Amino acid sequence: MDAYVARLCDELTSRASEATDHNVDTIYFGGGTPTLLSPAHFARLLDAIRAHYVLDGDVEITVECNPATADEEKLCALRRLGVNRLSIGAQSAIDEELASLGRIHTFEETKKTYRAARAAGFDNISLDVMFGIPHQTVDSFGRTLDEILSLAPEHISAYSLIVEPDTPFFEAGDTLPLPDEDAVCEMSDLLLARLRDAGYERYEISNFARGGKRSHHNLHYWSMDDYLGFGPAAHSLVGAVRTGHSRDLFAYLEGRDITEPEETLDETTARDEYVMLRLRLSDGVSKKDFSARFGQEFDELYAAAAEKFVAAGLLVDTPERIYFTDRGFSVSNTVLSEMLFD
Amino acid sequence: MPNTNERMNHIRNFSIIAHIDHGKSTLADRLLEATQTVSKRDMESQLLDNMDLERERGITIKARAVKLDYTAPDGEVYTLNLIDTPGHVDFNYEVSRSLNACEGALLVVDASQGIEAQTLANAYLAIDANLEVVPVINKIDLPAADVDKCRAEIEDVIGLPAEECPAISAKAGINIPDVLEAVVRDIPAPEGDEDAPLKALVFDSYYDSYLGVVVMVRLRDGSLRAGEKMMMMSTGATFDVVEVGTLEPFGLKKCDILRAGDVGYITASIKSVGDTRVGDTVTHQSRPAAEALPGFRPAQSMVYAGIYPADGARYGDLRDALEKLQLNDAALLFEPETSIALGFGFRCGFLGLLHMEIIEERLEREFNLDLITTAPSVIYKIEKRDGETVMIDNPSNYPPSDEITQAYEPIVRASIITPLDYVGNLMDLCQDRRGTFIDMKHLDPTRVELLYDLPLGEIVYDFFDALKSRSRGYASLDYEVKGYEQSKLVKLDFLLNGEKVDALSFIVHEEKAYARARKIAEKLKDNIPRQLFEVPIQAAIGAKVIARETVKAMRKDVLAKCYGGDITRKKKLLEKQKEGKKKMRQLGSIQISPEAFMAVLKLDDEEK
Repeated sequence: MDAYVARLCDELTSRASEATDHNVDTIYFGGGTPTLLSPAHFARLLDAIRAHYVLDGDVEITVECNPATADEEKLCALRRLGVNRLSIGAQSAIDEELASLGRIHTFEETKKTYRAARAAGFDNISLDVMFGIPHQTVDSFGRTLDEILSLAPEHISAYSLIVEPDTPFFEAGDTLPLPDEDAVCEMSDLLLARLRDAGYERYEISNFARGGKRSHHNLHYWSMDDYLGFGPAAHSLVGAVRTGHSRDLFAYLEGRDITEPEETLDETTARDEYVMLRLRLSDGVSKKDFSARFGQEFDELYAAAAEKFVAAGLLVDTPERIYFTDRGFSVSNTVLSEMLFD
Repeated sequence: MPNTNERMNHIRNFSIIAHIDHGKSTLADRLLEATQTVSKRDMESQLLDNMDLERERGITIKARAVKLDYTAPDGEVYTLNLIDTPGHVDFNYEVSRSLNACEGALLVVDASQGIEAQTLANAYLAIDANLEVVPVINKIDLPAADVDKCRAEIEDVIGLPAEECPAISAKAGINIPDVLEAVVRDIPAPEGDEDAPLKALVFDSYYDSYLGVVVMVRLRDGSLRAGEKMMMMSTGATFDVVEVGTLEPFGLKKCDILRAGDVGYITASIKSVGDTRVGDTVTHQSRPAAEALPGFRPAQSMVYAGIYPADGARYGDLRDALEKLQLNDAALLFEPETSIALGFGFRCGFLGLLHMEIIEERLEREFNLDLITTAPSVIYKIEKRDGETVMIDNPSNYPPSDEITQAYEPIVRASIITPLDYVGNLMDLCQDRRGTFIDMKHLDPTRVELLYDLPLGEIVYDFFDALKSRSRGYASLDYEVKGYEQSKLVKLDFLLNGEKVDALSFIVHEEKAYARARKIAEKLKDNIPRQLFEVPIQAAIGAKVIARETVKAMRKDVLAKCYGGDITRKKKLLEKQKEGKKKMRQLGSIQISPEAFMAVLKLDDEEK
């Protein structure tokens, strides 16, 4: 761990020049289980960031936290270091489902971690939930939602399980007790209805916030702002250049270059990606922002392609903005694939 | 004038007729080997079937001919011209012309299966052509072979003496010399007058990009040399003969003169096989024969279908490919056709379903085209209120019902040979396909020939598959067109989202319309990918809807996260989805992939 943190500090230092024109307004520790690091590790990393980057006064600092990997003492320490947002990977309130996902925690431990976070003074907590997972039913997902809502987090991220090739789930094939497509659809409907009733705003396809507590960090991804990622498997976007790191931890620890070939977005691709990402947000694309960014009018480029989806009630097109309706969100891949990437 | 001479006495012109799979091509190969026309080393199995497709399917599509030099045990040297014949009902006319070029035929019968419908049909064709038919019992090495039973069947059913006939195994090379001896002994030498005006029967032709059309002929009378002016008797078209010669296994061999009794080829810088139709007579322009050889008729298309490129941009390639195929296949007709659903394509006419399948496969294989083929249609005859009679080969030209006074459809006489066990099944099938029972003949204690009159429209609609599945593959079918009969026909249209899809329309008998409509509507439901909206499917006769289904709206996307590291993958996913969309055909307001379209049009309705 010490070596890894040392290596991360090196990278944070050596790449600082990439951010010279920018202030940092969000920091996110995520991917894997950052809470396995000690408060001293976090202190070192945050010191390195503060030493080499210009931070906004109200910088959002999020730490991803798996239940049972952080006790109240550690959480208090993080809070003191300036961490002001926690994202807890709750996933499900049903222990059998958690086990089938390979999670080592129980829901009791999620609740414990959550209460510890509150006690430590965190007032901006996000919980992750998953549906479409093995052994899950519409009922059991309803119970998970009951439990999650009773904790009243500021933010909820909800995803369905996608079985990707070359994963243990994929290889298990039909033997997996996965809920069928109809059930998954029902879960999705249930999710939207319950969260809305509980006062959460769906500000992005799979993210919900109440009291305006959106994830500022993730909003940057969906607005195609510049970001730097550090460590294995991290991605960065600076201007039109996207870079990524491989997952090779050992190469990283040895100080080898793990940067994968960069991708330079041409004007059209950048515009299409921007629209693809912004349309994930309930605010959609601001036409003013679009023309400010690309020097071309949104309507000139996309209005014709969007027309039939607007007519069908999947998109709403106003003089200022264009955005998906809930019905549009549910078939957004089809709409986007027809509108974009010609 | 003597009608034969010493030269002709040493010629035998014969063909081999057999049911598919009864070993015709293998026997031909053995004869080539046994006469050392082809050494074993050079032997490419089944030499006569030139096309890959023929070799794979084990059928002969086009006739081919080859000259064998045979030295008999007594030292006499004979020229044996083997003229191969297509083995399928679609090519009956070609078979009859090939047979007319011969004096005799070997009738190959599989010792384990006995006589089949095509064996019988072809044997009758040979007998009608006054050929000496020599039965050959093949596959005697098979465990199920019953040579005695087979001899009895040949005698009882066809009425040919079979006591002495060769019993062989072409595959294992058993008793092949017996066959050659029987050819020389039993098949008569040709007759004809070398000095009479030229009369040569065209039994095949093919297009060669260097030589132009190579015309294969059998000379009845007279002789022909390079440099002479020949004339086609049906059209009066004349050509300067560039070359004449004989048909060797590995190609053409030039010679000075072809004479009465000979089988050979002519080249004359002819541009299209359409100019040298099978069955036509070649004569000299300067000294024409008084009359042509009998029996010529132009190829008649029985089955029509629209053929479209799956990728609309390849329309030009499809046209070029059809033109190339037509150079070699005068029976293939095509003309441009436009469909709202499928874009630009061609209405094509075929001799029958097999012919159609073969053309489709050759277009796909040899020209690397992906095709969409509409449901095959026969030609309907319609008498209209205004007194006009029209022939309809395309459902889109079908007149509105109030303009029709009487409709007629083509009827065939079908012969089905089947083991006794399946007679009930097959009679049900024929009944179901609007057949009229004509006769039932017992061929032997276990097998029966059924004769039915059936609408050709029912036969082109998956009849063959149904026959095979209801008889476990044992029944065989042959048919000949009888003519037109009155019928109650309707045009069935399909509507998606309220819009008519022209490519799906077809003409069907009133009684069948409802069942067919439901089946196709179901298939559409199963094969149309879900769209953003619910899509109603309707089947209609005129304005009357007789079946309906609904394609449910698309399922919801899964909720997936999309952060910094996910963006590239997300973009790829959308691009892939887009790529799939590009191949889609627009059917009214909905999109459907060429594969799904094919699935709907595919005639595999027989429940298995």
